[in-house]
Amino acid sequence: MEIVALNQISPDQVIIWSWNFIVINATILYTWLVMAILVVGSWFITRNLSSATNVSRWQHFLEVIISIIRGEISEMTKKGADKYIPLVGTLFLFICVSNVLVVVPGFIAPTSSMTTTAALATCVFIAVPFYGISRNGLFHYVKEYFQPNFIFFPFHVMGELSRTLALTVRLFGNIMSHEKVVGILLAVTPFLFPVVMQILGLLIGVIQAYIFAILSMVYIASALSAEDEGHHTETKKEGVSA
Amino acid sequence: MHIDWFVFLAQIFNFLLLMYLLKRFLYGRIIKAMDDREAKIAARFAEAERLKEEASEAAELYEKRNMLLGQKKEQMLNEATLAADAKRKELMEKVRTEVDAVKARWQDMLAREHDAFFYDLRQRAAKQLYATARKALADLADVELEERIVDEFIRRIKALDEEKSIQIRKAISGGGNKVVIQSAFGISESRQAQIEEALKKQITNGFTMRYMQQPDIVSGIELRVNGHKIAWSLNEYLETLVESLTETLQKEAHAA
Repeated sequence: MEIVALNQISPDQVIIWSWNFIVINATILYTWLVMAILVVGSWFITRNLSSATNVSRWQHFLEVIISIIRGEISEMTKKGADKYIPLVGTLFLFICVSNVLVVVPGFIAPTSSMTTTAALATCVFIAVPFYGISRNGLFHYVKEYFQPNFIFFPFHVMGELSRTLALTVRLFGNIMSHEKVVGILLAVTPFLFPVVMQILGLLIGVIQAYIFAILSMVYIASALSAEDEGHHTETKKEGVSA
Repeated sequence: MHIDWFVFLAQIFNFLLLMYLLKRFLYGRIIKAMDDREAKIAARFAEAERLKEEASEAAELYEKRNMLLGQKKEQMLNEATLAADAKRKELMEKVRTEVDAVKARWQDMLAREHDAFFYDLRQRAAKQLYATARKALADLADVELEERIVDEFIRRIKALDEEKSIQIRKAISGGGNKVVIQSAFGISESRQAQIEEALKKQITNGFTMRYMQQPDIVSGIELRVNGHKIAWSLNEYLETLVESLTETLQKEAHAA
């Protein structure tokens, strides 16, 4: 009995259309779906925003989400939170919506593809030096790699790479394994238990989105390398990783 | 795990596109709306605070004004009361003075009327009495009343005591040795000689005599020398009569 087809271990394997090296697979398709939901939803809600005191429920909903993201970022950077909202907020929203939509039958989360998680982690990997250099300049940023002395340079580079890899694998592993576990459980105990696992899956999905976004912010904040912020973000990083 | 590099790049592109679109349609707008609202609320709070301060200042000002007005009112009321009291006293005093003056005038008038009445009464009574007595004396005897009066006058001169005689003597010498005898009727020469003789004998020599007829002296004769007099007339009796009459009238008036 084949519970999960081998080519379905990742949505990357579900090819919908291809021409030469151009491939449109389930990952890209569902990514577009999530993007469409987010963009159309945002456009729909924000097309007539009110800055008065009586606002629509959907506006409230979005304001709450944005406020939370803003608050989290502010805690780490102390100032200029709005600059990082597009990256961190989009990471959170995209991953969160992808993970939550798993409960819809037939939907496969793009985050269960390591290609997607790697792409997201790569974006963070690039964003860290981008923000670091734009804030403190190239010299200061590079100098951080030689702290406390030049011997530590390779370790810093390895740290950067390994945490990018960790971001990739953590999200991919959690989501992919969850889908597979639910699939296996459906075959073993078809009643109730898979539902509980689905609920657990929702929780895990949201938590993973939060972790990914927060870790990204922590990495960016550490790259900003202000003396006082450095200490704060290091502690935060340890706490989150644990 | 296999990674398709085209898909990998496509996902990066997708993510960047999504970031751009969300920045445009979500974050920018929402953050702007929230910031605008915050600014509005802050402005409203500031406005409310300003209004509150203004209101409290205004309230304080009005309270102060009220207090001042109250004080002024009380002061004005006190002044008005004092002024009214003073005016009342002044008016009362004025009225009292006027009343007193009217009363005094009235009493004066009354007294004058009273005097005039009794004077008139006395005159009438005296005349009546004189007429009656004269008629009665004439009816009773042939002796003329004037003779009797002169006789009585001479008798009185003669009956003067030593002290009175000395006083009259001094008065005659002090008044330029002139003696005036006034009577209501004419006195005959012989009677004048009798009177002169009696005076010289009783009092002194060396004076000139002058007789004057004075109808006011009712049925009488009198000698006046520098504040002293010797007289007999019905006036004396009449005065007694008038006095008793006045007394009787007043008693009756009080009884009424």
